[in-house]
Amino acid sequence: MQTTQQSQPHRVDGKRFELEALPWLDDVYRFALSMTRDEADADDIVQETFLRAYRSWHTFEPGSECRKWLFTICRNVFLRVRERERKRVDCGGDDAQLETLAAVRVSVAAIGDGAEDLFSRLDLAPALERAIGELPEVFRSAVVLVDVEGMAYNEAASILGVPVGTIRSRLFRGRRLLQEALIEYARDAGLVVTSGVPCTGVS
Amino acid sequence: MDCLEVVRQLWDYLDSELTDEAMARIHRHLAQCRQCYPQFDFERTFLDAVAATRREHPAPNLIRRKVLAKLRKAGLDL
Repeated sequence: MQTTQQSQPHRVDGKRFELEALPWLDDVYRFALSMTRDEADADDIVQETFLRAYRSWHTFEPGSECRKWLFTICRNVFLRVRERERKRVDCGGDDAQLETLAAVRVSVAAIGDGAEDLFSRLDLAPALERAIGELPEVFRSAVVLVDVEGMAYNEAASILGVPVGTIRSRLFRGRRLLQEALIEYARDAGLVVTSGVPCTGVS
Repeated sequence: MDCLEVVRQLWDYLDSELTDEAMARIHRHLAQCRQCYPQFDFERTFLDAVAATRREHPAPNLIRRKVLAKLRKAGLDL
């Protein structure tokens, strides 16, 4: 025979939920939008995220970071939604140091092309936003959580459910792809002059 | 600490993800090395630019209302 306790839903402290979870609605929406790149999809994901958060509010540990908890739920909702049309994405190797070195080659080349102040140009901002949006999702999530939302590697790893080493390699690959895209854009736009293939000094 | 070692850890350094000791060693190297400093500066400016893309995307009021309606329906007393 079932006990009453088993069949009863958890009582939710509505006031606490309102005070601790709901203020993060804008942040969750921004995160959802960064993953979906589509407002209607983000809308659905945000609603589902808060519904799930409400239903599992009893699992939230008081004093822990609510935003991170909500981002984790949001990410899981997104993955479930995406599962239907899941594409296989090449996540590349897991060697973060190789990615760092590859990025250094990009930056050495850019500096050689006289583009050392490229990223401080305000007119590059729309191209940067577009390039972030065009990153494959696995890299975009890492870049958004660490570089845009300011999370530590271990926090991003926890939200995305992957080891810290994987976050590093995805993050570094994402950064390199962004830099390559921006430098290409800058060259096409005549913002930097290509001086041929520069010697990078790093192989 | 040589230049290769520094550039390998440049992003970890910029993200403050290294030990205090490693952070200090790279910091000292960058203060003295003319080759590495421009790399550091380039990557730092890049990361600043990425961080600056963070826009306050306030959730549209419609979404806010939908979320609240859903929560009320689920039993939340607001």
